[in-house]
Amino acid sequence: MDSNYLLARAKDEDLLKKGECGGAVSSIFQYLLDSNLVDGVLNLSHGEDIYDGVPTLIEDSKDLVQTCGSLHCAPTMFGDLIRKYLQDMNLAVAVKPCDAMAIKELEKRHQIDSDKIYKVGLNCGGTVLPITALKMIELFYEVDPDDVVKEEIDKGKFIIELADGSHKSIEIDELEEKGYGRRVNCQRCELMIPRNADIACGNWGAEPGWTFIEIVTEKGREIVENAHKNGYLEVKTPPEKLVNIREKIEGVMIKMARKFQDKYLEEEYPSLENWDEYWNRCIECYACRDVCPLCYCRECDLEREYYSDSGETAPDPLTFQGVRLSHMSFSCVNCGQCEDVCPMEIPVARIYHRMQKKYREQTGFIAGMSEELPPLFSPEKE
Amino acid sequence: MSEKEPKIIGFCCNWCCYGGADTAGTARMQYPPNVRIIRVMCSGRINPSMVLKAFKEGADGVFVGGCHIGDCHYDAGNYKWRRRAKFVEDLLPEFGIDEERFRFEWISASEGEKFQKTMEEFYNKLKGLGSLQRSFSK
Repeated sequence: MDSNYLLARAKDEDLLKKGECGGAVSSIFQYLLDSNLVDGVLNLSHGEDIYDGVPTLIEDSKDLVQTCGSLHCAPTMFGDLIRKYLQDMNLAVAVKPCDAMAIKELEKRHQIDSDKIYKVGLNCGGTVLPITALKMIELFYEVDPDDVVKEEIDKGKFIIELADGSHKSIEIDELEEKGYGRRVNCQRCELMIPRNADIACGNWGAEPGWTFIEIVTEKGREIVENAHKNGYLEVKTPPEKLVNIREKIEGVMIKMARKFQDKYLEEEYPSLENWDEYWNRCIECYACRDVCPLCYCRECDLEREYYSDSGETAPDPLTFQGVRLSHMSFSCVNCGQCEDVCPMEIPVARIYHRMQKKYREQTGFIAGMSEELPPLFSPEKE
Repeated sequence: MSEKEPKIIGFCCNWCCYGGADTAGTARMQYPPNVRIIRVMCSGRINPSMVLKAFKEGADGVFVGGCHIGDCHYDAGNYKWRRRAKFVEDLLPEFGIDEERFRFEWISASEGEKFQKTMEEFYNKLKGLGSLQRSFSK
């Protein structure tokens, strides 16, 4: 295994059958659990339907099967969960790029111990809000959303599978033009291959039934090599053609993301009047702060008396979002959760992503990717 | 002072800019009385929230004065402030506040004249901009 690229699939028959793309990711988890390198694996398991994903801690490799398969319509984040509940555990976790970004920022802040965690990255082209998915499946696929048994995003299409085994697919572009499709922050995201995790796995450039793995760190190389040596993983070298295909897909996706950034953060960015209307809706529920993976302080500045308003009106955005922006927007990983949870539908993530982009232009600091803390934390004379 | 006169909040560091203001005072240099000075120990003590709070409470302009780069009493405080100040400049326009309403300057304790000049310039700038009309209304 000299190359950083390889194709892999499970040797375990159950995982091979039920896992996505040959179940390579599940096999790596299986190896980690069986060899006691980790105490648990944090992953998503299916909830009631395909629109529901439940973060699940697996401690016995026999239970891994229940976490097989992708769930694009159940956006969740793991960073916060690990920091709050699993800090002491030796852990392996399946991460989307934004999970990996949040974990990286938390590691730098000593909230997660990087020595205790294996990050198995999953390529991600974006996620869909469950409500949006239900609506668009009804509207455009003309199918009862409850009849869908599986969904997949592949080659720019959102594909659903019905109980009788038939498939229906529609171009994501088409859905997004009509205001459906992926979450808006995902449309703007330019990190599809999580090179901030230990390995990055996905179906781009993979042969059917195989997972394409890019090894990013030495730790990543170790687990893949050992999973192979110990008989959990079957591996082969991908032909150059496939490596190029994968590169091409990534290039196209990044280009598209930049276009969406221009659209949402510049051309169609809300005017000041729009923002006033949005801020006036705020009911000061703090949900955006509570869900933010970067907001880990035990005592929050926002709750200090000297920033508080009467409580009868919407809080002044300068000392509410303004203060929060000044605390963490430069580290915003654009996970979009603040926007997802806002009960008043304020497009909060937009202003945060815009500020991180401004900060990136000025300082070169990329939240979730750069190895150092943001320069604002620096004690240096520079 | 009339209602239309701009209100300026000036955060001055104890060791340099506050001394500069003092020098201007003892030398009887005239400068606009619109600035309310808040003394802080170091410009590195100032965080963006304090600037935001000042605007929220009705300031038309916020000034921050620290020691010259290299002269910080606490070694690197003004470097830290400079990084924050750049961030504040990026943040204010997002809330409809012209970044010209925010100014920072390095003024030593002996530079009474620089303090006087800076205040005059800033006052004239704010006078030109008019009082801050926050678009957010309750």
